[in-house]
Amino acid sequence: MALLEVKNLKTTFATEDGLVTAVNGLSYAIDAGTTLGIVGESGSGKSVTALSIMRLIQRPGRIESGEIFFDGQNLLTKSESEMRHIRGNDIAMIFQDPMTSLNPVLTVGEQISEAIQLHLGYNRRDALEKTIDMLKLVHIPSPDKRVKDYPHQFSGGMRQRVMIAMSLSCEPKVLIADEPTTALDVTIQAQILELMNEMQSRTGAAIILITHDLGVVAEVCENVLVMYGGNMVEYGTAQQIFDQPKMPYTQGLLSSLPRLDAEGHERLVPIKGQPPNLLRLPPGCAFAPRCAYRMPICDDPVPLYDFRDGHVARCFLYDERSASQRPIAVETAPRVSLSDVAATPQAMAEKQP
Amino acid sequence: MSVLQEAPVTEPTTDLVAVQDLYKYFPIHAGLLSRHIGDVRAVDGVDFSIAAGETLGLVGESGSGKTTVGRLLLRLLPATSGAAYFEGQNILKMTRAQVRRLRKDIQIIFQDPYASLNPRMTVGDIIAEPLHIHKLARGKDVDAKVHDLLRTVGLSAYHANRYPHEFSGGQRQRIGVARALAVSPKFIVADEPVSALDVSIQAQVVNLLQDLQDQFGLTYLFIAHDLSVVRHISDRVAVMYVGKLMELADREELYRQPLHPYTQSLLSAIPIPDPRVEGRRERIILQGDIPSPVNPPSGCRFHTRCPIAFERCITEVPEFKSYDGHYVACHAVEQLGGKQPEIRPTTKARTVPVA
Ligand SMILES: Nc1ncnc2c1ncn2[C@@H]1O[C@H](COP(=O)(O)OP(=O)(O)O)[C@@H](O)[C@H]1O
Ligand SMILES: Nc1ncnc2c1ncn2[C@@H]1O[C@H](COP(=O)(O)OP(=O)(O)O)[C@@H](O)[C@H]1O
Ligand code: SF4
Ligand SMILES: [Mg+2]
Ligand SMILES: [Mg+2]
Repeated sequence: MALLEVKNLKTTFATEDGLVTAVNGLSYAIDAGTTLGIVGESGSGKSVTALSIMRLIQRPGRIESGEIFFDGQNLLTKSESEMRHIRGNDIAMIFQDPMTSLNPVLTVGEQISEAIQLHLGYNRRDALEKTIDMLKLVHIPSPDKRVKDYPHQFSGGMRQRVMIAMSLSCEPKVLIADEPTTALDVTIQAQILELMNEMQSRTGAAIILITHDLGVVAEVCENVLVMYGGNMVEYGTAQQIFDQPKMPYTQGLLSSLPRLDAEGHERLVPIKGQPPNLLRLPPGCAFAPRCAYRMPICDDPVPLYDFRDGHVARCFLYDERSASQRPIAVETAPRVSLSDVAATPQAMAEKQP
Repeated sequence: MSVLQEAPVTEPTTDLVAVQDLYKYFPIHAGLLSRHIGDVRAVDGVDFSIAAGETLGLVGESGSGKTTVGRLLLRLLPATSGAAYFEGQNILKMTRAQVRRLRKDIQIIFQDPYASLNPRMTVGDIIAEPLHIHKLARGKDVDAKVHDLLRTVGLSAYHANRYPHEFSGGQRQRIGVARALAVSPKFIVADEPVSALDVSIQAQVVNLLQDLQDQFGLTYLFIAHDLSVVRHISDRVAVMYVGKLMELADREELYRQPLHPYTQSLLSAIPIPDPRVEGRRERIILQGDIPSPVNPPSGCRFHTRCPIAFERCITEVPEFKSYDGHYVACHAVEQLGGKQPEIRPTTKARTVPVA
């Protein structure tokens, strides 16, 4: 059984302009000791997914439906006090901006040792000792002195390391890291990713890494979930996603990236158009308005198609009916060729949860 | 400041832009009497040149002084000392009238397209503003020119009546580009123009900038912290660290044979979006943080993080020296006569098994 399983999650926000469906029927699972990368453009629902798991969605937001199983128990039926225990103890979260989760008026030592006392039942002295150990572990120099410093006395990279120390001090079974390195410079990003890697091999935690950087995903994730318009459009191992992307959006993302190891000056292939408006998601494929392969059938709700070995994609190109449909309004075909699509064995096994 | 007095007003040069020994210190004041207690040495002696039609990429981590260099070139800030020539005229010594004319030739595109567009003006008025300021069009011609510019950057004429908030990030950046193009500039400083955009949209704007360069023969200073984007768009690349240039070379040369230990580490830290490649890559992980420009390290300012620093690096500032046109400021490189110093990787890039 998976350590964490999200089933049919739907989270909405009642805004002035109308009901925003931020997460629209999302399902996925993650095993202990593995790292899942969640990618997708801004506004695709990555953070809302994470906050839903933590039960930290606040008004005007609401989890409308779905189930989230952690260790076999549905988190959505837990009381707030049960959730408080689970947060920090079993599931911890790191945010892009560590200042949002560090208390500016408490020293770093007070904050971490308080969490340790609360969750692990340590006394004050032992908690402080463990705090210093944790800071040492995340490579904060002279940790016995730095415990007395306030968050603002640390640089951005150090604050993120403090945050990691704090979230890992109680050895959570699941760590959700929401763009943990986006605000950091690359040399500091390399330090943080290395650190998360070290921690995982020590504690065997499952990590959900939310990022828009496909390079980071290729570096640290076993599995990848691609989100678009509030739902999963493709899921597979990193190898499957990078070598054989199935969904046109995933293909577009990969071909629009400039690569450090590219051969020449060849032109980038952008994805046409603009990100979707969540107030007015189309009834069918959310990517349809930007898709070069769009067919009449794409206006129907799209099921997931199974490519075996866990690789799934939400796209009608893999439906047997697509053979009889002609693409509409193809202005410029992307570089990714259809041969990949045509060569796919008819992958019909419906896996709609 | 004395240096500024001595720098000549004109300089015979074939380059469109030439920067010599440029400094910008921001004074720090403290206490009731506002005593001058130190300086942020944002730009601390920088030299480079850009040929007409060329794109020079300027990369470096945050706070290294990239934006300040760009602002100095537009005279949005006064320099502390040094010289910056545009078509042979020293920008830093221009009169106000000359600066006004300069802004017709040099334009800037900002990172945050939203912050740089007045929310209360229509897109049409935003783009028309420079046309009025520089008296480039009147009456009906203004509208025609605005519509033309909108189409040039991939928007439509009807967008002129809308307000900035009605556009997505990528579209706003197109508006910023249209405004910059309105005066038919020769040189554009693009300060992180795609950093705030999603990857799928980033590529649209990068392609647009390249097309405009071909179409209008533009010259770019392309500032960014993303080395993959810079590699894609630049002819030559300069690497900045805490106010100083560490390395400057042709694009191919710099990425194939980075000489400076900082450039080597920087390139090795960037993950490549391909698990197969990542699985084979080794990485140099730098220890510690980027030093403050208020109190930069002595000698080579990279010495506090450099894996191969030696005695001389702590005491002596390395000269920014050319090895067949490949500029590097590093004692180790100098001792090797311009060869790449070897740095042992700290780690294998990936611990996950790759099939
Ligand atoms: N507090 C909120 N109020 C209203 N809408 C929100 C709120 N938080 C998120 N949303 C909506 O949910 C969508 C998904 O947001 P988010 O999960 O933060 O995206 P991502 O993390 O992928 O960039 C956003 O486009 C936004 O419209
Ligand atoms: N107006 C200013 N006053 C004081 N310090 C400044 C000012 N502008 C920039 N700085 C400082 O100068 C340094 C370089 O900044 P900047 O040129 O913006 O770097 P970059 O663009 O490479 O991130 C930073 O330490 C920054 O805090
Ligand atoms: S082919 Fe259809 S289902 Fe697939 S991405 Fe395009 S629009 Fe969506
Ligand atoms: Mg987010
Ligand atoms: Mg800047």
